[in-house]
Amino acid sequence: MIRINACALCTVLLSVLCSSKVAAKVYQDTLHQDSVKLKQIDKNIAKKISSIPKLKGTRDTVNIKLAALSPNLSLQQIVKGNLAGVFVQEPNGEPGTEQSMIVQGASGLLFNKKDIYALQPAVYLNGVPLVQDNPFAFDVQKYDYNRIGPATNLLAQIDIDNIESISVIKDPYELAKLGPNAANGAIYITTKNAKGGLTDISLNSYFGFVTAPKVNTVNGVYENNFRKPFYAKYASAENYAGYASYLKDSTNTAYYGPSNWNDLYYQNTPTYSVNLGITGGGDRANFRFFGSGTKNAGNADHTSLNRYNLFFGINMLPFKWLTVSSAINTARLDRFRNNSLRDRFAEQRYIPDLSNPLSPNAAIYQGFLNETKKNVDNNRSTILNGNLTLAAKINKLTITSSLLFDYNEGIRDYFTPSTLLDGVSYISNYFGYSQRILLNNNAAYKYEINEDHTVDFELGQSFQGDTYKYNYARAYNGPNDFVKLNKVQGDVLKDDYLNTLAASGFYVFRYIDKERNNLMSFYGSAKYSYKKILTVNAILRRDGTSNGQPDSRWVTTPAFNADWDIKEQLLKNNETFNSLHLSGGWGRVLRIFLDDRFAAGPQYRSESGWYEEPTIPGYGSALGINRPYESGFIGYGIKVPTSDRTNLTLNASFFKNRLSAAVTAYNRNDNNQIIGLPVPFELGYSANYKSGMNINNKGLELVVNGLVTDQSKSLSWTTGINFSYNQNKLKALPGGVTELILNDNKLEVGKSAGSFWLYTNQGIYNTNAEIPEGLTFNGIPIQAGDPKWVDYNGDNRIDNKDKVMTGDRLPKYVGGWNNTLSYKNFDLNFNVIFALGQKAINQYEANRYGFVNAETGNSINSVKEISSWQIFDNGKNYPIYNPFSPVDAYRVDQDLFLEDASYAKLRSVTLGYDFGKAKFFKKSGSNLRRAYLYVTAMNLFTISKFSGLDPELINYNGYYDGANLTIPRTFVLGFKLDL
Amino acid sequence: MNYTINKRNSLYKVSIGIIVLLIGFGNFSCKKIDNLQSNRLATETTNWKTLEDAKANLLSIYGLMRSASVSDNGHWLMGDLRQGDFQITNRADLKAIVNGQLNASYPVINRITNWRRFYAAINAASLYIERSGEILKLDPRYTELNNRVDIAQARMIRAFAYFYMSRIWGDVPLVTSSHDGDFVQLSRTSQDKVLAFATNELLAAGQVVPFRYGGTDPILPGLYHSNSWTGWNGILFTRLSCYAMLAHIAAWQGNYLDAANYAKFVLENQATQNKDGSFGLAYLDMASLTENSSNSPFAFKRATLIVGFPFEAGNGLLTANGHLEQLTLASPFIPKTQPEMFVPKDTINKVFTDPFDLRFGIDPVTRSYRTNYFYNYQSEQPIFNKVKAIYTGQTASNVALFSSSMVFSRLEEISLLRAEALAVLGDREGAITALNQATNLRGVTYLSSSKVPVIDAIFAERRRELMGEGWRWYDIIRYNKIKNSNNIFANKNGVAMTFKQFEAAGGIYWPVSQDVINANPSITQNPYWN
Repeated sequence: MIRINACALCTVLLSVLCSSKVAAKVYQDTLHQDSVKLKQIDKNIAKKISSIPKLKGTRDTVNIKLAALSPNLSLQQIVKGNLAGVFVQEPNGEPGTEQSMIVQGASGLLFNKKDIYALQPAVYLNGVPLVQDNPFAFDVQKYDYNRIGPATNLLAQIDIDNIESISVIKDPYELAKLGPNAANGAIYITTKNAKGGLTDISLNSYFGFVTAPKVNTVNGVYENNFRKPFYAKYASAENYAGYASYLKDSTNTAYYGPSNWNDLYYQNTPTYSVNLGITGGGDRANFRFFGSGTKNAGNADHTSLNRYNLFFGINMLPFKWLTVSSAINTARLDRFRNNSLRDRFAEQRYIPDLSNPLSPNAAIYQGFLNETKKNVDNNRSTILNGNLTLAAKINKLTITSSLLFDYNEGIRDYFTPSTLLDGVSYISNYFGYSQRILLNNNAAYKYEINEDHTVDFELGQSFQGDTYKYNYARAYNGPNDFVKLNKVQGDVLKDDYLNTLAASGFYVFRYIDKERNNLMSFYGSAKYSYKKILTVNAILRRDGTSNGQPDSRWVTTPAFNADWDIKEQLLKNNETFNSLHLSGGWGRVLRIFLDDRFAAGPQYRSESGWYEEPTIPGYGSALGINRPYESGFIGYGIKVPTSDRTNLTLNASFFKNRLSAAVTAYNRNDNNQIIGLPVPFELGYSANYKSGMNINNKGLELVVNGLVTDQSKSLSWTTGINFSYNQNKLKALPGGVTELILNDNKLEVGKSAGSFWLYTNQGIYNTNAEIPEGLTFNGIPIQAGDPKWVDYNGDNRIDNKDKVMTGDRLPKYVGGWNNTLSYKNFDLNFNVIFALGQKAINQYEANRYGFVNAETGNSINSVKEISSWQIFDNGKNYPIYNPFSPVDAYRVDQDLFLEDASYAKLRSVTLGYDFGKAKFFKKSGSNLRRAYLYVTAMNLFTISKFSGLDPELINYNGYYDGANLTIPRTFVLGFKLDL
Repeated sequence: MNYTINKRNSLYKVSIGIIVLLIGFGNFSCKKIDNLQSNRLATETTNWKTLEDAKANLLSIYGLMRSASVSDNGHWLMGDLRQGDFQITNRADLKAIVNGQLNASYPVINRITNWRRFYAAINAASLYIERSGEILKLDPRYTELNNRVDIAQARMIRAFAYFYMSRIWGDVPLVTSSHDGDFVQLSRTSQDKVLAFATNELLAAGQVVPFRYGGTDPILPGLYHSNSWTGWNGILFTRLSCYAMLAHIAAWQGNYLDAANYAKFVLENQATQNKDGSFGLAYLDMASLTENSSNSPFAFKRATLIVGFPFEAGNGLLTANGHLEQLTLASPFIPKTQPEMFVPKDTINKVFTDPFDLRFGIDPVTRSYRTNYFYNYQSEQPIFNKVKAIYTGQTASNVALFSSSMVFSRLEEISLLRAEALAVLGDREGAITALNQATNLRGVTYLSSSKVPVIDAIFAERRRELMGEGWRWYDIIRYNKIKNSNNIFANKNGVAMTFKQFEAAGGIYWPVSQDVINANPSITQNPYWN
C-alpha cells in the first residue's frame, strides 16, 4: 500500500515536472512584458510554500551562513547552542546516532529512552512535518540502548548548504496554527528554493579529519592495584577465592602486557562532503536542484555515516491566478556502526560468559577486530519527502491546497559469526517504515475595512495519516559462519514451510507490529491589523486524533497573539530606538499519544514474559492474550492531553540597528497527560494509566546581537549571544496524588520532573562502634565499611523514605555565543555553547567501584568495553567501602555519584577568506559571487567539573555509563563557490 | 499561436485534474478518525467472541503462571537455596539468599519477593472464570462442556498460584474475582483460609476436568481446542494434576490423611495417561531423568509432567532466564567458565551414601564416578548437570538458551509424597513400598530392616531425587514440622532459634518486597523481616 502511494505521488509529481518544462518555454516566448508583475507573484509563491508567516527579528533563527562552515551532520548538531530555548543532547559521538532536542523544557518524563521520543519538537522541512521513528519498537526489546533497526538519526537527512533558514517556533499562536504535531514546539526548516532570474550555481565542499584523542591507557596492573585496597580491608578467604579470574595470573600478558589498544580503536579518519546546487529558470517557471554526498566519520571504533541527498524544487505559474510549486527531498543514510560489546549483546539479547574481558593488548584486540570483519552490519535508511502546493488567487481570495508526504524506510541486516559469541552465530533482520501523508486545504480572504483597518480571514482543513510498521527477526546458531542468511522453505505445501530451523538451521524469534494514527483538523483564523501599530491574530481549531479514546477524540482549542509596535505609536522620532515591539500570545493545542493503546480502553495483549524475558510468545503452540499486567491497565475515561502556552516578548533594536535585543518570558503547561499510577499489586497489574499529570515549564530567554566595531576598511566584530533559563515543575498527578514512585525514580508535585531520587551519602562507618545501635538498610544491619547514609526520618532504618529528590537531569541554563571578526576579506568566527545546572549520575564509576557485584552479575552492566582500559584526568576518588556488603555500597541511587554536569564548550572556530572579493580576483574578470576558502576546527575544548570523559555523553536518563563514543575534535578545510 | 493555445488548454486540464485529485485525496469524512481501530491488540469489543478467544485467553493463564514461577529463576532461588545443597560461586545476591539475608538489597531479590506476577495469573484466571461464558452465546462451536472444562482449568491454576504463594509468604491476600479495573486495597488473608479456598477450588475442578484432553477420555471425548492428546499432554492440567496439587496442599497443612488419599488417586490412575498416542506417564529411567531420553519431563512436554509448565523449543519458547541450567551449567555443557552455583563435594558425599546409586555412585564397569548428576566430581566445583535441556533439547550446546520445563510434580515425587504421608500416618510398610516404587530405577532400595527411620529415608530420597527441582526448602519445613525437634534450627541476629520458634516468628516465609507495601499500605511486612 505504501509503495503504491509513494508511486502514485511520484507519478503526480513527475507529470507536473514534465509539463513545467513545456510551460517554461511557452511563457518565456510570449510573456516577457509581464515580468515585473510576475516577480511580485513569484515572491508570493515562496511565501505560500513556507505557509507560515515570517518570523520577525533574528531571535529565533540559526545563522545559516556561519552554521554552514561547520561540518555538522544532523539538524540537532546545527542548532545546538544556536537557538534560544532549545537544549540539544548529543549523548553519543558515533555518527548518525539518535539525538534529542528539547524546546522550552521537557513536557514529560525523562526516565527511559522511550520517554525522549515524546518530548521532541516537530521538524518541518518546507512545510512537511517530518515523521519520526515510533518508539513502539521498544515494546519487544529487552534493553533500550538502541531502537531495533538502523536507529539512524533521521534528522541527519538535510545538508546545511541547501538550507535557507532554520527557525524555532515558540509563539503560541504560530504553534496552534501548526497544530497538534507541534505540541512540543517546532523547528521550521526552509530549503533554498527555486527562484527566477539568472542561473545560480553553487559548489561547496570540505575535507578534513576527525582526530583520535590522547588516552591514558592502563592494563591489568592498574586494575589489580585498584582492587587491592578493597581486598586488603574487607575480603574473606572466600572473597579471595572469587577474585576476578583474568587478574589472578600476573604473568598473563593478555592483561598484564602492554596496553596499546587505543591505536586500533581511536583513529584519525577523513571526513568530507561535496555538494552542488543549481537554481534557475524563468519568471513563470523555475527550479532548483541540489545534490550532495557526505561522509561523516567518528574517531572511534571505525564508525561513520554516508549520506546522499538529492533535492529538486520547482515553481510554476501556469496562469496569473494559479501557482504550482513542488519540492522533493530524498536521502539515503548508510550507517557504519560500532563494534561495542554492549550494543551487540543488547541486540542479541544474549549475554555470554563475561569473566574474561577484552584484552587491552593490541595484538589480541586485533584478533577480535579480525573476527568482526566477518560481520554483516548494513544499516540503511531511505527517506523521501516533499510537497505539492497549488495556490489559486482570485481577487482577494486565495485558495491553497497542498499534498505533503514523508516516507522513510529503515533496513538493518546484521550477522555476527560464532567466534564472537561463544560459538553461536547470530542474525537479525529488520525492515520498518514510517509514513505520513498530509493534505492541507485552506482559503484566505483579505478584507480591508478602510486604509487603517485590515482583516485577513483564513479557513482550513487538513488530514494527516501516519503509519508505522516493522518486521523484525533475530536468529541464533546458523550452520556455519559462511551462511549469513536466514533461509526458509517457501513452499506452502511442504511440511517445513517457513521452518528456518529445518531449512537453514537458525533458531528464529519473530516480531511484527504496525500502528496507524490519523489526525483530522479544521480551523478558522483571523488577523486584524491597525495601521502598522497593532496586529492581532486569533485561531480556533478542532482536531480529531484516532489515538484518543472514542469519546475524547475531538477537541476544540483556541489561540491568539498580539503585536504592538511601540516605536511606531509612541517613539516615532526617537533616535535611540530603531524598533520596539511588545508582543504576547496564549494558545492551546491538543497533544497526540504516540501509542494507539490508550485509545482502546481495557484491552488484551500478548504479554506474558518477565523482566529478563520480556517477549514470551505464548503457551503451548498458541499465542496467548491477556490483560496488560506487565505494562499496566488502561481503562476508560482517558482524555487526550493538551498543551497551553503563554508568551510575552519585548524586542528592540538600538543605535542604528547596531544592537538588537529580545527578551521572552514563557509559561507552558502540559496538562492532563497520561501516566501509569502504581496500584495494589494484588490485582496483577503493575500500574493503572490515568489522565491528569500536569507539567509546567517557565522560562526566560534573552537574545542579544550586536555590531561591536564596524570599520569598513579594518576590523569589524559582530557578536550574538542567546541565553535561556528554564524551570520545570510537576504541577499535578492524576487523582490528586502528590507523589509517585516509578521504580528507581520518584515524582513529587512541586518538584522538577527531572529530579533524581537518591540516598544522601555522608561518608563511611569505619568501625562498628560508629554505627547507631540497630541501624539497618532496608532491614539489613549496617556493618563497618558500609556507607553512612542519612536517616532523614530517624527511624533507625534507611529505606525509600530516606531518599530525597535532588539534582535535575536537564540544565537550568543553556545558550551559545557567536562571534564574527572580519578584517578585509578575512573573517574569523568562533562559537561557544554552554549548558549549566544539570546533574548526572556517574554510573561508570559506580560500576567500577562496585566491581564485585558488577562482575558476578554477568549482566549487561557487567560488560567491560575495550575503551574502559583507560583512566581520565579528572577522575574522582570515592571512599573504599566494603564491596562485598549486602547493602550494595556502590549503588547508583545515592548522591555519592551525583555530579555537576554543567559545561561550556568552544564548539567551533573558523577562519575564512573570500577570494570573490579579492582585488586580484576581480581584476581577472571573474564573475564569481563568492569564492570562500575556510578552515574549521570543532570541539576544541570543554570546561566542566564533570569527572567523566565529556559531560555531553550522558544518556537521556541522566546516567553516564561511559559506553558511548567520544565526540571528536574535527578539522576541515573547505570552500564555497557561488557562480 | 494555435500551438500555444492548445498547450494552455491542456495545461488548464492538467491543473484542474490535479485539483480534483487533491480534493479526492482529501476525504472530509471524520470516519478516518472515529472508526480507526488498533489491530495490535484485542479490546472489550473484540475479545470473548469466539472459540479461538477461549483458547487464547486460557493458554495465557498457564503462560502467566509459568512466568510467575520461573521468572528470575525464582522457582529455584526460593526453593533450592535456603539451607540447601548449593554453594554459590560468585553472585552476591545468591549468596545472600543462601545466608538467609532474604531482604538484602539486590534487584533479583527485590523482583522475586514481589508477588505481583502470581496475581497476574490469578487475575487472568478470575477474569476467565467471569467472562469466558459470554462466548457460549456467540459461538456455537463452543460447548457448555468445553467451557466448564476450561473454567475448571482456570480454577486449578488459580488454586495452584495460591498454594505456591502461601508456601513462600504464608498469609497472602485472597482475591477471588477480577475486580476488573477497580483497584481495591486488600490485606493479607490467613494462610488457612487461602489454602481452604484452594482446596475447595481444586476439589470442584477435579470433578470436571478430564484425565486426557483431545483423546478418548469419556469425560471429554474428541479434539480439544482443535488439538489431540499428543498435542496437549504435559501442557494442560489434568485430573491427575489436580489431585497432585491437592495432595501437596494437604501435606503442607499437615493433613496427611488427605495427602495420602489424593496421592493414592494419582498413583492409581497412572494408566489413564497412557492412551491416545502419548508417551504416557511412567517412572523415569536414568536416561529420561538426566539424559533427555524420550520420557523426560524436563526436555519435552510429556505426560510425565504431572504438574509443571513446559518451554517447548519447537514453539519458539527458548529462554536464557527461567531455567535451572542458567544457574548450574558451565563448560563443557555450555560455554561458560564457571557455574553460578554447584553442589560441593562434601554435600554430595553426605547426600549420596549408596555407591550403587545410579544418580551418583561408582560405575562398576568403568570404576569411575557416575556423571548423571555431577560432572567432574573430583574438581572443586562439580557441575550439577541433572537438568540440561539446552537449545532444542540437547545435553550440550553452544547456545545458552534452554528449553527445560518447570517441573513441580512427577511420578517419583508424588510417590515420595505418598510415602511421606503413610509414614506419618504410621503405615511403615505402605511407606516403604511407595518409597521403593520411587527409587526402583535408581539402583537403591530401602530395606525394611534398615535402622534409618523411614521418614528420614524418605526425605533423604527426596533430597536426592528432587535436587534442583525447587523442593529442598519446603521439604525441610515439612520434615521439621513432622520431627518437631528442639534442636537449633536458625540464628537471627545472634539469637539461636529452634524450628518451632523460627516458624512462630515467621522465619519460614520470605519477606515481601517493599514495592508491594509501597503500592498497598494495607500489606504488612512479614514480622520476621521487619
